[in-house]
Amino acid sequence: MKRYGTLGTVGWQVLICAIVLSVWQWGYDLRAKLPWLVPDLLDPYFISKPSMIFDNFLIQSCLTSKLGVFNGWFNGEFAKCLARNENNLWAATAITLKNTFFGFVTGVVSGFVAGLILGRSDRLSAIFQPFITAVNSIPRIALAPIIVLAFGIGDMSKIVTSWIVVVFLVFFNTFEGARSIDEGFTNAARLLGASEWQITRTVVVPSTMAWVFASLTPAISFALIGVIVGEFIGAERGIGRLIIESEARGEASGMMVAVVVLMLVGVVLSAIIWRLQAYLLRWQRQRSAE
Amino acid sequence: MSALETSVPTSLRASADRRVEVKGLSKSFQLARTTIEAVRDVTFDVRRGEFVALLGPSGSGKSTVLNMIASLIRPTGGEILIDGKRVVAGKATPDVGYVFQRDTLFPWRTVADNIGYGLELSGVPAQERKARIAECVAQAGLKGFESAYPSALSGGMRQRAALMRTLIVEPQILLMDEPFGALDTHTKIDMHEVLLRIWEREQQTVLFVTHDLGEALTLADRIILFSARPGRIKDMFTVDFDRPRDAVKVRETPHYAELFQHIWHSLGEEFVKGRSA
Ligand SMILES: Nc1ncnc2c1ncn2[C@@H]1O[C@H](COP(=O)(O)OP(=O)(O)OP(=O)(O)O)[C@@H](O)[C@H]1O
Ligand SMILES: [Mg+2]
Repeated sequence: MKRYGTLGTVGWQVLICAIVLSVWQWGYDLRAKLPWLVPDLLDPYFISKPSMIFDNFLIQSCLTSKLGVFNGWFNGEFAKCLARNENNLWAATAITLKNTFFGFVTGVVSGFVAGLILGRSDRLSAIFQPFITAVNSIPRIALAPIIVLAFGIGDMSKIVTSWIVVVFLVFFNTFEGARSIDEGFTNAARLLGASEWQITRTVVVPSTMAWVFASLTPAISFALIGVIVGEFIGAERGIGRLIIESEARGEASGMMVAVVVLMLVGVVLSAIIWRLQAYLLRWQRQRSAE
Repeated sequence: MSALETSVPTSLRASADRRVEVKGLSKSFQLARTTIEAVRDVTFDVRRGEFVALLGPSGSGKSTVLNMIASLIRPTGGEILIDGKRVVAGKATPDVGYVFQRDTLFPWRTVADNIGYGLELSGVPAQERKARIAECVAQAGLKGFESAYPSALSGGMRQRAALMRTLIVEPQILLMDEPFGALDTHTKIDMHEVLLRIWEREQQTVLFVTHDLGEALTLADRIILFSARPGRIKDMFTVDFDRPRDAVKVRETPHYAELFQHIWHSLGEEFVKGRSA
């Protein structure tokens, strides 16, 4: 890795984290002395503090009791604590992840298939063009309340919300990809004896892949956003529900814990997509990787 | 196009000496405001097993003619018959192989998988496929690059891989559009040797587009000279060196020099026109 100055890239990253966390943790304490320097927004009432967030995390995840005493792993306190709260941090994360996963997968699959079909058929794409443009100009997230109304406050409404934001994103990318396939490839395949189906499988799908993957990283965030918004509007469980509850109690650290968990979930999911892409699109990288 | 159906029934072989017939072929491209006349009234025949070179300046419609024979584009006038059957645009004729001028190797497939593509399509078992790929890789001098992706190859290596991708399915009619355009002289002559040996063995009917007169003389039985745009046939020359030919030795004969001189003059006029057109 290239080094910039005396600090390496990682050095700078650590430094930036340290500064941000320190300001967050102690910045507001300076307000008494330097009121002109410290904005109201640093008030822990709004944004909590790293230390409080960490304590809150331990409580919400049932690792310690409300008094800050460590719940042993094996004495049953942990299990009891989990049982007391149906929407504890673990259960909430699991349910949000599950719904995100289903919304994402159904959205990607249906968007991909629809994009391929319409992208490969001039006739169909001409017929559907105005509808697609119309539906695409609706901010999909605005449909969330309607979806919750229609599908209830259970998991289904979250999956549908998430699906609807993902499907269009993937659809448009696949569609563009399928439209812009190099005719040289399809001609070559056809002259080597490929049937239409073989062309789809061996030329259209692989050359559209790069486009599809370009939409997957935003799609995974969108899927998460869809689920959270659905949970804001009406849910019994999930991280979105945790945030709403903490907000009702005026408890910033509770909200922050949920936000941090979401951030971690997002990072992990993106990393998975990234690895998958690096593998499936390895042919794009070979030269530069050497 | 089945890889196994390499030989044509003898009845056909006896009856039709003319394998490809091009009759009064014309093509104009409609652009936004203007019409480009690329090919005008081109007529020629290619006999079974004949090696014909199409020679002409850039823009003289050579690729356009091949594309029409390959059924990739529709002529504006005239017709093409292959074995007496009319070529219909959009319907690939079995038995026609095409090595494109432009690189069309699949970037997402390794060299070996690109070469084996045609066999994969016709369901040749993996074991047999592997053996035949290995053979082609060796012929093209691509040993050691089997599992590389095309992006890691040089232009010349890509051309050779593309050539093998076409040859592996053993097409009986071979359309080649400047297949060795990006090779250095030495590798080019190596490839001429490879192609000549394959052609002597398989006796395909070949239409070979090139800018390189030496290449045309080395390989072809007949040279068709195209004029500058709009492409018409300006002249035809028979190249009557003995077969089998040696790609190096043939260039050293006095007859080669003679023919070269003769055609060079005619060609030169067209290149000058092509440049000013
Ligand atoms: N798809 C197309 N649309 C419009 N014009 C075209 C198209 N294809 C070819 N042409 C035109 O037709 C003419 C002949 O093109 P063609 O590619 O057949 O030439 P060529 O003899 O193969 O040239 P080169 O030796 O440079 O490959 C050119 O003027 C070109 O601009
Ligand atoms: Mg050309």
